[in-house]
Amino acid sequence: MSALSRFIDHFRGSGDYSVSVPPFDGALRPNERLETALAIVHAPEPDNLVTLADGVVFSSADSLFRIDFGSPAGSHTPAVPLHRLPSTVTALASRDETLAIGLEKGGVVILGGHHDGMIISALDGIAINCPTALAFQDADALLIANGSASHPPSRWKSDLLDGGASGTVSRIDLATRRSTRLAANLAFPLGLLPLGDGGLLVSESWRHRLVRIDVSGQISRVLENLPAYPGRLAPCREGGAWLALFAPRRRLVEFVLREPAYRQRMMREIPSEYWVAPTLRPMMSFLEPLQGGMLKQLARLKPWAPSRSYGLVVRLDANFLPVESLHSRADGCRHGVRSVLEVSAGLLAASVGADAVVLVPPPREH
Amino acid sequence: MSTILELRGVTKQYRGVAAITNIDFALWTGEVHAIVGENGAGKSTLTKIMAGVTTPSGGEVLFDGKPVAFATPRDALHAGVAMVFQENSLVPSMTVAQNVFLGDEKFFNRMRGVYIAAQQLMGSLNFGVDPWATVATLGAAKKQMVEIARAVRQQARVIIFDEPTASLTPEEIQLFFALIDRLKRRGVSIIFISHAIEEALRIADRITVMRDGAVITCEESVKLDRESIIRAMVGRNLSTALYSKEAASARRVGPQILSVQDLSMGNIVRNNSFSIYGGQITGMFGLIGSGRTETAKIIAGVLKRRFFHGGEVLYEGRSVRYGIPRRAIQDGIVYVTEDRKLEGFFGAMSIAENLQVARLAANRPVLFVPMNAAKDLARQWIEQLQIRAINGDAHVTELSGGNQQKVVIARSLVQRPKLVIFDEPTRGVDVGDIAEIHALIRRLADEGLGILLISSYLPEVLNLSDRILVSQRGRIVEEFSAADADEESIMYAAVH
Repeated sequence: MSALSRFIDHFRGSGDYSVSVPPFDGALRPNERLETALAIVHAPEPDNLVTLADGVVFSSADSLFRIDFGSPAGSHTPAVPLHRLPSTVTALASRDETLAIGLEKGGVVILGGHHDGMIISALDGIAINCPTALAFQDADALLIANGSASHPPSRWKSDLLDGGASGTVSRIDLATRRSTRLAANLAFPLGLLPLGDGGLLVSESWRHRLVRIDVSGQISRVLENLPAYPGRLAPCREGGAWLALFAPRRRLVEFVLREPAYRQRMMREIPSEYWVAPTLRPMMSFLEPLQGGMLKQLARLKPWAPSRSYGLVVRLDANFLPVESLHSRADGCRHGVRSVLEVSAGLLAASVGADAVVLVPPPREH
Repeated sequence: MSTILELRGVTKQYRGVAAITNIDFALWTGEVHAIVGENGAGKSTLTKIMAGVTTPSGGEVLFDGKPVAFATPRDALHAGVAMVFQENSLVPSMTVAQNVFLGDEKFFNRMRGVYIAAQQLMGSLNFGVDPWATVATLGAAKKQMVEIARAVRQQARVIIFDEPTASLTPEEIQLFFALIDRLKRRGVSIIFISHAIEEALRIADRITVMRDGAVITCEESVKLDRESIIRAMVGRNLSTALYSKEAASARRVGPQILSVQDLSMGNIVRNNSFSIYGGQITGMFGLIGSGRTETAKIIAGVLKRRFFHGGEVLYEGRSVRYGIPRRAIQDGIVYVTEDRKLEGFFGAMSIAENLQVARLAANRPVLFVPMNAAKDLARQWIEQLQIRAINGDAHVTELSGGNQQKVVIARSLVQRPKLVIFDEPTRGVDVGDIAEIHALIRRLADEGLGILLISSYLPEVLNLSDRILVSQRGRIVEEFSAADADEESIMYAAVH
């Protein structure tokens, strides 16, 4: 019966085969807050904003930088180089003086603290080939999200188009090196947020949702049907969390995701930057006619154009329901925000599309 | 100014209950006289006596200074008093010309002559209505024109309009007002019953306010304003309470209940997308024909979306496609219709039976329904929604418009919904009942239900909604939060 209804759905374009995406409305109503925010640091493809004892750290390619907020007001905020790693940094977590660093080539490196120099390359004998998110649960317990069993972090588009759902979340005791798998078959877990009750909030990018893993290992859906692909999570001072959504869901991409033959041929024959897939930065290339489509009028891209890239950050309340959002729309460039961090001056957002870290003042000052 | 129609000490009782008591009323020649009042104030009874639809229990009626006793509407019509009812009395399958001459045909009727006469009549009134057109194909305004033409043809010197603008678009209302003006210039006296106080203030020379079967005041319209009329109508100051900004703001938003994604149906609903959240009133404003009602009906399973690629409706996170409303009701989605008389209730049934039938739709079929249970249910809801009826055995058709609307709402609420779609919930409802219905909608949102409020009346949308969606040509084109919405920007979004 279900096979029959699937066939009918495929025929009619309904149910699982419905090529539709949720609207940006309610708390996700578009605005310009991200686009008009102050860019405080310029660096290529910034990501992974975390706090260390002496400031805020972020990654850019294979390097870590510290943002120096101590410079005089009005002057350019410098990014002070901290470390250089053997490959691109894909995930970062901090606790006191300790940094856990996920690498593009695989594995996690610990810098500073009691476990300085420790390298974790496998969990239960399975290699960490795609470290996408890290979080400290306590000084010795590190949570590791491995986004995909078959693709490294930089090939996230391939994982999406292959229908990837091989992500895992594990906990490792750094003192004993014993690991526990908390969840498997996740569709690209890209954000981890330990909760006060011992539970864990995980963003599953390709399923456009947040799930909660409680102490007993029970997985429950927290927020579903998001109109964009969720990325990293960060705690919010008012309770709840900040969620970065790195690219929008579009009907064209949803359509391609339901057409395996087309998708496979596209992946085989076309360079990945021109795939019908989400991107982190606006390309504006004449080779990409569908970026602006018909909504380019008088040479200007309309803000509501169905672009493949977008900038979106959402604040979730204590029940993890969206309450406010910050946007950079199709006509902007602060796209591909994968990481956010709340600091005393406001909210920091690392935008790959703008190659900058921007500072959004709190709403009352906005 | 001479008086054409006068009522002296007129009283009307139904089964011993007085509908109007000791009414004195005078209509001057060539004036437009508005009668306003809450539902149940006695306006309709008063005008029905004038038009011969019903006879008074006491008092006297004078036409042209002479006492008359109209036993039937035909008597009144022969004397020169015609009434245009809210529900028009045309035969939809007949042509305009046939309707104009209906009941007055000659034994050997020459149709060509009838059509020519109808065309001349329409031309003289400056009505752009084709006499050969079938009435069923006409819009509400043109049907109204045919009714008026019929009254004029019968040399009516007094025309009574009962809620003439209730089913008209803003453009049609303008046309109607121009027509009233023309009739007035021809010396016709007009009585105009309306709930829309602004309309009465705009076109009437004098306004009579009725309450509880008595005339409270009768003044020239220039001496009255909206507040004084409302005060006279309800006996208290309601206008500030009615459209105040109390509502919303403090309400805490709940989870997403409904997500409509790229919904399509013909050319009426086109790629429509929006969300509804629990504990929040989502207002939807748009001009008539913007696809709001159709979208709501698709959600509730009354209409079907496009067969191929008709979009998706996610209700509580799962994709739903209702073939019949019962499935939607069982899931917790109810639709309170804009057309209560046609779709809202069973006119031949009592309040109790109507509520019981509604409850049956939400539950499994049962063989027997104890009538005591039905009566208890009716008693409970009559009390809860303050429905002014003698008891649950009263037929819904016997109630006033506002109370009928409360029954329609009660029919939906007995189904224990999680999402309520109100489509024009206060259309044809008087101010007192509007305030009660608004309070009820707010209370439902406070209880955590998702509310979609479709309304063409901007102050209602503005003051009741936590967020406002603007619909245009079958899709949502703009969203406003309650804080930053104003009439001008909403209307701009709806039109441009």
